[in-house]
Amino acid sequence: MNCEVCQLKELEVEHFEIREVLRCILHTIVFHRALGLVRPKVIDLELFDITYVQCGDGELEKKIDEKIEQFISWVEKHPNKKSQVCISFYEVKNKHPSWFTNKTERLYWEQWYINLNVSQQQKVHSGKSHPSKIVVDPGGNSLEERSARRAALETSLREVLFQIIKFVNEKKDHVPPISDGVVYFPYEVTIPRWILSLIHEI
Amino acid sequence: MAPHSESGKLEQVVSQFLLKSLHIILDSRIPSLHPRDPTCDSRVRKSDKWFNLVLGDRPAALDNLNFWHRNLMDPMIIDIILVQQGTAISTSVGNLLSGSPGRTATETVIERWLVQFESPPRGIASQPSEGSAASYKKTYKKSIIFLRSLYLQTRLLPAYRIFKQLSSSSQPFNFDIIYKVSSFSEPFSRVEEEMMKEYRFVPIEALPGRLHVSVTYRPQLSEFNLQPLTTMPPKIISDYVGSPATDPLRYFPSSYKGDRAISFPSKVMHSPTSVPFQRPHSWTSGFHRSPTVYRTSQMSYDSPSPPMERIQNHRRPLHQRAPFYDECQLSPPFSPSVSPSTPTYLRNSESPRQTRASSETAPVTIPSPISGRSSRYISPNFSDPSKLSLPPLSPRSTRLDNSSNESPSGMRLIKKPEASRADLGSAGQKVTFVVLKDNKDDSGRFSGLLSSSDSPRVGFSRSSSKLSFQDDIDDCDFSCPFDVDDVDPPDSRIRYFSSQNVDWKRNLESTSMGRKSQDAAVGVLVHMLRTAPPLRQDSSCYSSRSLRAEVENDGVATTASGFFMPRRTSDALEELRSYREMKDLLLSKSGTRVLTREPP
Repeated sequence: MNCEVCQLKELEVEHFEIREVLRCILHTIVFHRALGLVRPKVIDLELFDITYVQCGDGELEKKIDEKIEQFISWVEKHPNKKSQVCISFYEVKNKHPSWFTNKTERLYWEQWYINLNVSQQQKVHSGKSHPSKIVVDPGGNSLEERSARRAALETSLREVLFQIIKFVNEKKDHVPPISDGVVYFPYEVTIPRWILSLIHEI
Repeated sequence: MAPHSESGKLEQVVSQFLLKSLHIILDSRIPSLHPRDPTCDSRVRKSDKWFNLVLGDRPAALDNLNFWHRNLMDPMIIDIILVQQGTAISTSVGNLLSGSPGRTATETVIERWLVQFESPPRGIASQPSEGSAASYKKTYKKSIIFLRSLYLQTRLLPAYRIFKQLSSSSQPFNFDIIYKVSSFSEPFSRVEEEMMKEYRFVPIEALPGRLHVSVTYRPQLSEFNLQPLTTMPPKIISDYVGSPATDPLRYFPSSYKGDRAISFPSKVMHSPTSVPFQRPHSWTSGFHRSPTVYRTSQMSYDSPSPPMERIQNHRRPLHQRAPFYDECQLSPPFSPSVSPSTPTYLRNSESPRQTRASSETAPVTIPSPISGRSSRYISPNFSDPSKLSLPPLSPRSTRLDNSSNESPSGMRLIKKPEASRADLGSAGQKVTFVVLKDNKDDSGRFSGLLSSSDSPRVGFSRSSSKLSFQDDIDDCDFSCPFDVDDVDPPDSRIRYFSSQNVDWKRNLESTSMGRKSQDAAVGVLVHMLRTAPPLRQDSSCYSSRSLRAEVENDGVATTASGFFMPRRTSDALEELRSYREMKDLLLSKSGTRVLTREPP
């Protein structure tokens, strides 16, 4: 089975926008891959005039929020860097089960890469050694730039959502069959560059 | 049989796919079809299990669209129509009164969804393949994925924004969204096509055919002036100058055709013509126009239900969402709901009409023997016993003047309960007095007409009393001081009926001529005396018929009903003396001494 990979359009976000943007994209992807019985929950973003859809599952929300917090922590430690969040869907296969081992193998059949370029203009949480920068509106130009940037990000985010819709409709054959009683395919959210940074640190 | 059952299952999947698509689209476009709080309903219906997407109750309109079950090949075209009324809605009230023809509703198709199952041409034989058993399952799985993307797509398109506006706000808007479902539609004009974009979903394999879904939509809705209605205040001003609530004597011009324009909730209405209030309701003509508009622009339908659907789903023809619009939803199945403001207005409207009707059609007859009866009989139309008019010229009248000066409010000669109800609506408006007409019957019959203190002709303000009006009487010579419009005949005379019960003084204080000048009160009295018919020769007729003198300080409650005012002061005084004598006689019989005062 091929693993379909979708690289989503890069988004330039500010630190305080990460949470909303990632929630929107991750939940949208999971919603399209939750083929069991779901009760959709419509969410209006606060920072943008965009509505997205969740599965209406509290546990799922919690897991995704945890991953987002991990990402934010990573971004705070590695400011002004391009980062990625990867959500992968896989099947669990038992690999040569034996008396001694019961290894399972994950067969990834789909991966989504969310590309973010975080600009460190404002720190939400001041680090221990980093002084917090409070962004004060210096004047009209900055405000205009900010609103223009916000509008551009909103447009880009909307394009990303359309990109997801297009991808899920174009590629359906690789999606495994739905098991009864199962709502979500197994998935994992990773931060590839974090892994790379860990390797570098070692 | 297997292929047949497989094809039957496929047909079932396709037909449910059509219905589910329609449900998703309408759920995100038509506020009236959108459940209030879908999260509250935890039930999973049979329809929800289709495609594993819980949407809640299907709108009733969808149940009428079973015609697609007959022929799955028919395309399902869903038009999302923006209904916007012209700017005339925000013009002055006069336009509304005149039924301005300039107000037109414009309908614009802002989205057109096409959902269609295409089967291969007949020339190509559709052989049951080995995998046909699983083909409908694949179709089903792909449909599940597609419908999720459709669910999101409907919320990313521009039309969703205005749907949210209508759904979330209780403000009135100058637009509404309706839908139309049909199997064919008129193509867009070239101009319209240029303004629209198209998005085609990837077709879904549904062997032997395919499911196609596409949407043509307007990417920009900013060109439409979609905004809340702010020019027309949501609250109806019930006591505007010249309103029936304030001036029931005022008749409405023939061009005022609002009598049958609206039917209000039955609890308010008592007659079909009792609500001539087209003026404050900007939505009336809009509402009445909308069905016609829809009919004229209606395209052909395969189903008999779509026209009704259009009307049913016409959420608000440019008026406020809940209050105004719902109230003006006259045709079924909507039950009118009273707006926060109109009930007040309607109550006001109801009461003066009733009052007028009651006062005009049920003149009060003052019975002859009144001994032992309370003053209630003075005005049988009115349950309020504190009905009284100007007293005769007497020391008591002087006292009345004094008390009237002390009265904080406007004079209330006769207070009608209906008018009291009207008072509830208009904040603090008081019914001031009753005009009594002389219908040439000296029995004292009269028909009362309420004239509020806000009557423009009389120049009343809300807090003004009759005395201000009385001042006008002093200045001009006319027979009926309460003849504020043309309804009263020119030879009508004012009859004032006094009641002299225990509450007489109190009533006078509360319903007296007000705090206006004593001179005005005296002037009225003088005028009455001048215009009153002559006294009868036999004063005993009065005594036997009507009067019991009130004793002020002895606590005996007696009531003097109405009597005719003497023409001359001397006659009146003479009569008064005779009354006093009678009173003394009665009291002496009862063993009560009465203190009387000699007239000055």
